[in-house]
Amino acid sequence: MKSVIDFLNILLPFAYTATFSIYFYDFMKGGKKLTNSKRLFLFLTLILHSIYLVIRIIAFNHPPITNVFEIFTVLAFSVSFAYFILELLTDIRNTGPFIIIISIIFQAISSLFIEDLVEVKEILRSNLLGSHVFSALIGYAGITISAVYGLLYLILYKEIKLNKFGIVFNQLPSLEVLETLSFYSAVIGFFMLTIAIVVGVIWLPTAFPDFSYADPKLIGTSIVWILYGLGIASKLFGNWRGRKVILFSIIGYILAILSTLLSNFLAQSFHSFY
Amino acid sequence: MNLLSLSISHHTAPVELREALHLNNEEIKTFIEQAKGKLFNEGLILSTCNRTEIYGIPSDPNINHSVVQSFILGLKPVPEIKSEIFKNYFSFDAVKHLFGVITGIDSLLIGDNQIYHQVKDSMRYVEELKFTGFLTQKLFDAAIKTGKRAINETEISEGAVTVSYAAVQLIEKIFSNLSKKSALVIGAGETGEIAAKHLREKLIGRLTITNRTFEKGQLLAESLQARIIPFENFKSSLHEFDIIISATSSENLLLTKDEIRAIMKKRNFADLVITDIAIPRNIDPESKEIDYVFYHDIDSLNIIVEQNLTKRRAQIPRVEKIIDEELKSFFDWYHSLEVAPTIKSIRDHFENIRLAEVEKNKNKFSSEDQEKLEIVTKRIVNKILHQPTVELKKLTEGENNHDETAAKVGIIREIFGIDNASSKEEK
Repeated sequence: MKSVIDFLNILLPFAYTATFSIYFYDFMKGGKKLTNSKRLFLFLTLILHSIYLVIRIIAFNHPPITNVFEIFTVLAFSVSFAYFILELLTDIRNTGPFIIIISIIFQAISSLFIEDLVEVKEILRSNLLGSHVFSALIGYAGITISAVYGLLYLILYKEIKLNKFGIVFNQLPSLEVLETLSFYSAVIGFFMLTIAIVVGVIWLPTAFPDFSYADPKLIGTSIVWILYGLGIASKLFGNWRGRKVILFSIIGYILAILSTLLSNFLAQSFHSFY
Repeated sequence: MNLLSLSISHHTAPVELREALHLNNEEIKTFIEQAKGKLFNEGLILSTCNRTEIYGIPSDPNINHSVVQSFILGLKPVPEIKSEIFKNYFSFDAVKHLFGVITGIDSLLIGDNQIYHQVKDSMRYVEELKFTGFLTQKLFDAAIKTGKRAINETEISEGAVTVSYAAVQLIEKIFSNLSKKSALVIGAGETGEIAAKHLREKLIGRLTITNRTFEKGQLLAESLQARIIPFENFKSSLHEFDIIISATSSENLLLTKDEIRAIMKKRNFADLVITDIAIPRNIDPESKEIDYVFYHDIDSLNIIVEQNLTKRRAQIPRVEKIIDEELKSFFDWYHSLEVAPTIKSIRDHFENIRLAEVEKNKNKFSSEDQEKLEIVTKRIVNKILHQPTVELKKLTEGENNHDETAAKVGIIREIFGIDNASSKEEK
């Protein structure tokens, strides 16, 4: 089983890169030739990734959320899986390369540094922790996709304003669609982050004796959550639209990444496991 | 194949001459009535704003391109016409030219699939006038198949290649669902009319027209089930529109940047697409600096048109490959109409039927009778085929018209289902 895990760990970044290459090639060539085969490739990569995650859980007897590199592989999976569902629901197939590249980055880092942890703290085997982390990860996948679509919106907006009618103009869906995709992804992300925070705030003080509301990860996530909440509320109730809301999403995402990095690698607290 | 073709198109003649030789349906009808039997037995006449084309199978071997030219000019006298403006094709080249026309690679706007429908309509019209025969019918089927393949298997017809359509393509890059949007077209001239029609085709939610001459605008609005607003006060309701297309002949600016900014404030900065396809321009080009205003004039739309034309030109080799395949298939069929191979095919066809029946029933006979069964069934088949074989051989004797022979042979092949049977065997 160990050798299968090692093999899949090496294979996955290549599988994502191959899927990305097909999506990218199709994007550059007009998005028609490989319409169905690229989706099949993504599907097969996700199947491989699911097998990898399941085998890891069985082999090491804990969910793959005990350190940042395990979390990265789950995040790589969540982002591409969320995109796959989005592609099936909307039939918008040309934005794949911009999302799958995120999975490549997360998976490559994970594959390089991940270790086979058999002994983990007992607290990390808790089901409540599982729901806390998984909802946070789906939330992060949501805001990642929201930020990517937001960025694509800004690029297309600029191209149209500047009369540049190149590949971006021809291949991307309309501004309205990009804005909608970005917004709905942010709403899903926000909702899942809310669940993660609620579960965390209820459960963490009982699980960790050294729990503190001054924990950097807690503060960082709360700021990100407030920012997304404001962005969503301004669109729903304040009639905000277009670039203003998109900028909220992109800034929120940058903050989320910074807060994760800082709280995991620099600030040591009860909330750091690696 | 004895097919003659004459073509007058944008390649050979200026618009005045093309107009002078354009044939409307009434004139085509007269042409056919006068030409049938004397000039051609069957054929096709195609006349659009960019080309007039005559295809036909001559009723007499002495009929050539110059006879047909004189016939056309007799019907539509145009003194300044010289014979050079007619491009002449014969046999294989004539078929190839027709396939080129229907696929749009010979069009002024490459890949214009309107020509596909025009050729189909012309085919239907000559059929109504009973100017088609066995050969032309097959030719039409092959041409339609070629046109369809070009549209479906290549990108020869993709992307906007007119300014008005490019404007709509651009609008669709901003709004995802035009049925929820409202548009104003300023100017009911030809350009405005085409733009309004494109919007209607794209199921725009609310279409409004305004024009300096109210009555003209009203006519266009009625034909497109659009709303009309008086030109004098159209500015007061501008904030209601998500799309403004301007195509008037006004010498001065109709809308300034400040006016557009005021509209945007009223719209709470919701996206506004402004397409100025007038020359000189009607709307201040500096409006593009305002946030959420997507201003485009004829120059920027021409960038889209040129890009799409370049893409279409790149598709020509793929279309030519389809044409070559369909030409081969058509002429394979045509050559199968020769007498000798047909006699062989009929004999093979009957022999196969005989063998199958003998095989199925031979166990009902004793071994001695099986031999007799072979002899008797062979004799029956030979006797049945004797007379048709003699008659077919007669077609090759004397001075029979080759296309007439081909037509007769084709009918025989169709009656016996020989081509269907051989294609089944191949499979």
